[in-house]
Amino acid sequence: MADTSKNKESGFSMKRGVSQWAVTWRRFKKHKSGMFGLGMIIALLVIAALHNYIAPYPPRPLPGSFTPLYEGEAGMPPSLKHPFGTTVMGTDVFSEVIHASVYTVYVTFLATVITMLLTIVVGLTAGYLGRHVDEVLMRITEVFLVFPSTLLILVFARIYQLKVSEPFWYIGGISIPVGLTIIIFIVSIFSWAGNARIVRGEVLRLKETEYIQASKSLGASSRWIMLRHILPNVLPQVIVLATLTMASAVLVEAWVSFLGFGDPNTITWGRLLQESFNDLSTTWWAEIFPGLVLFLTVLAFNLVGDGLSDAINPRLRE
Amino acid sequence: MGLAKYVVRRIIYMIPLVIGISIVSFFVMYAAGDPIQIATMGNPSITEAQRQFLRNYYGLNDPIPVQYLRWLDHFIHGDFGMSLYGGKPVNQIIGSLFWETSKLQLFSIILAFIIAIPAGVYSAVKQRSVTDYSVTSVSIFGISMPVFWFGIVLILIFSYHLGLLPSAGAHGAPSLWPVFGIRDPFLDELAHLILPATVLIFAGLAWHVRLLRAGMLEVLRQDYIMAARASGISERKILYKYALKNAITPLITLLGLEIGLMIGGAPVTEFVFSWPGLGRAYVTAVSKLDFPLIMGITMIITIMVLIANLITDLAYAWIDPKVRLE
Repeated sequence: MADTSKNKESGFSMKRGVSQWAVTWRRFKKHKSGMFGLGMIIALLVIAALHNYIAPYPPRPLPGSFTPLYEGEAGMPPSLKHPFGTTVMGTDVFSEVIHASVYTVYVTFLATVITMLLTIVVGLTAGYLGRHVDEVLMRITEVFLVFPSTLLILVFARIYQLKVSEPFWYIGGISIPVGLTIIIFIVSIFSWAGNARIVRGEVLRLKETEYIQASKSLGASSRWIMLRHILPNVLPQVIVLATLTMASAVLVEAWVSFLGFGDPNTITWGRLLQESFNDLSTTWWAEIFPGLVLFLTVLAFNLVGDGLSDAINPRLRE
Repeated sequence: MGLAKYVVRRIIYMIPLVIGISIVSFFVMYAAGDPIQIATMGNPSITEAQRQFLRNYYGLNDPIPVQYLRWLDHFIHGDFGMSLYGGKPVNQIIGSLFWETSKLQLFSIILAFIIAIPAGVYSAVKQRSVTDYSVTSVSIFGISMPVFWFGIVLILIFSYHLGLLPSAGAHGAPSLWPVFGIRDPFLDELAHLILPATVLIFAGLAWHVRLLRAGMLEVLRQDYIMAARASGISERKILYKYALKNAITPLITLLGLEIGLMIGGAPVTEFVFSWPGLGRAYVTAVSKLDFPLIMGITMIITIMVLIANLITDLAYAWIDPKVRLE
C-alpha cells in the first residue's frame, strides 16, 4: 500500500491490484481540509447549475444597465429579504453573486483546460525529445516567465475590450460571452510557462527510469512511450498543478475585472466589486460579500490542491 | 570562469531578450488601435484635421516598423518619449513615481522575508503542532485572499470604522498630519504606509512561509543534520546555520523575482489605496492607451527582472559552492 507504483507494475498476477487512483482517493478522503474544499467546489457547481432557481431576483436584462431597482430598495443593508444587501443602484447583491457564479465556473474550467494543454504539450515534448526541441521550447518558456505578465494581461484585456463588437456568440442556444472568453485565453497564455517547467523536470526524471528503458529496448516508438508510459505518470502532478491553476485563474479574472478591464457584457464577481468600489463608504456589503465568496472559492481550489498533492506524494507528509 | 566574464556574458545574452520583448509589446500595442481616437473621444468639438495633426505630431502615421525603429533608437539613448497625456516626458513621470513605489515595495518585501524565516522554520520543526497548523492555515488563507479585497476590508475596519489610519495616498496635507495627536511628517508617511504594506506583506508572506516550510522539512530529514545532532551541536545552530542555508534557496529565487517585479508596483494594491506609484500610473495608462508610458514601464520592469535574475544566480553561487557559474 505504501508503494503505489508496485501495484501498477506487478502485471504478473491475473487479478488486478487496487488502482493508483483508488489509493490516492483513499488518502485524499482522510485529508479533512481537502474534503472541505471539494465540498465547497461541488456546492459552487450546484449553485451555478441551478442559479436561476436559487437567486431570488432575475439578472439584469443588460449588464451595463441598472434597471431592476428591486422593489425600490437602493443601498439597503443586509436583511432577510436581501441577504447581501442591495447596491446604490438597487440591485440585489445576493442574486447577482449567484448569477455570476456561472461565469466563475466557465473561467475556471476553460482557463485550466487551455493552460494545462499548453503545459502538457510543451513539458512533454521538451522533456522527452530533448536536444534542440528542448532548447527552443525552454527559451520560449523563459521569455514567458520574464514577461511582466500581470501588466501585459491588462494591456491585452484593454485592447480587446475596445475591439470586441459582438457581446455574445450563440452556440446551440447557449450564449458564450466573447470578451470573457478572450480574457480567459489571455490569462491562459500567460500562465502555462511555470507549469511546463515543472512537468518537463518530471519527464526528465521519468525518462531515465528502467521501465522506460525496457520499453525502448523492446522497440516502442517515441509517441507510444510518451502517451502510454510518460503521460500517465506525470498525470498526478498535472492534476495538482491544474487545481492550483484553477485557483489562480479565478483570482486573475477577478482583479482584471476589478481594475475595469473586464468584459463589459458580463457580470462577474470582479465586476461586481468594481461597480461598488466607489460607494465603499456607504454600501460596504456590496464589496464584502462578493469578495468573501470569491475568497472562499479560491480557498476551496487551493485546499483541494494541497490535499491532492499530499495524497499523491505521501512521502512529503511524513 | 571568472566572475566578471560571466556577468558580461549574461548581460550580452539579455540584449536579444529585451529586444524581443520590446518588439512583441510594441507590435501588440500599436496594432490595437488609434490612441488619438481614444484620447479625443470625450471632445465633441475636435475636427478630423486636428486629430490628423496630433497623429503627425506623435509620429503615429508612419508604418509600425518605422515607429518601432524610432522608438528603439530613443530607447537605446535612454529616452522613452512623451506621454500622450499632459505632455510630460515618460522619463520624468517614471522618475517622479519611482520613489513612492519602491518605498512601499521594499518595506513590504523585506518585512515579509524577515517574518517568514522564523515562521517557516518553527512550523517545519514543530510539524503538526498547534503553531504549525496555525501557520499553514494562515498561509493558505494568504495565497487565496484576493489582495484588493483584503485591502478593502482593512480600509473599512481601520479607516472608516475605527478612523485610525488614512485610506488613500502616500502623504496627507499638513493640516491632517496629527497621527495619534502628534504632528510629524514622518509619522504621517508611516501611517499612510501601514495599510497597503500590510496587504502586500500578508500576500507575500504566505508564499515565503510555504516554500521555506517545505524546504526545511526536506532538509531536516537528511543525514548531515543527524550527524550534526549526533556531534552535539546546539539545535539553534543546526536549524539556522546548517539547515536554513540549504532550505532558503527557493526563497532567494522568489525574493529575486519580487525585487525584479517591484517597480511594476502592485497595480491592484496601489489602485485600492490610491497610492501615487507606478502601478497605479500603469493602470491609468492602460485604460487611456498611453502607449509611450506603457512601453516605458514595461521595459523598465523587464530589465529589472533580468538584472534581478542575474543577481539571484550570483547569490546562489555565493550560498552554495556546489553551484557553478557557467
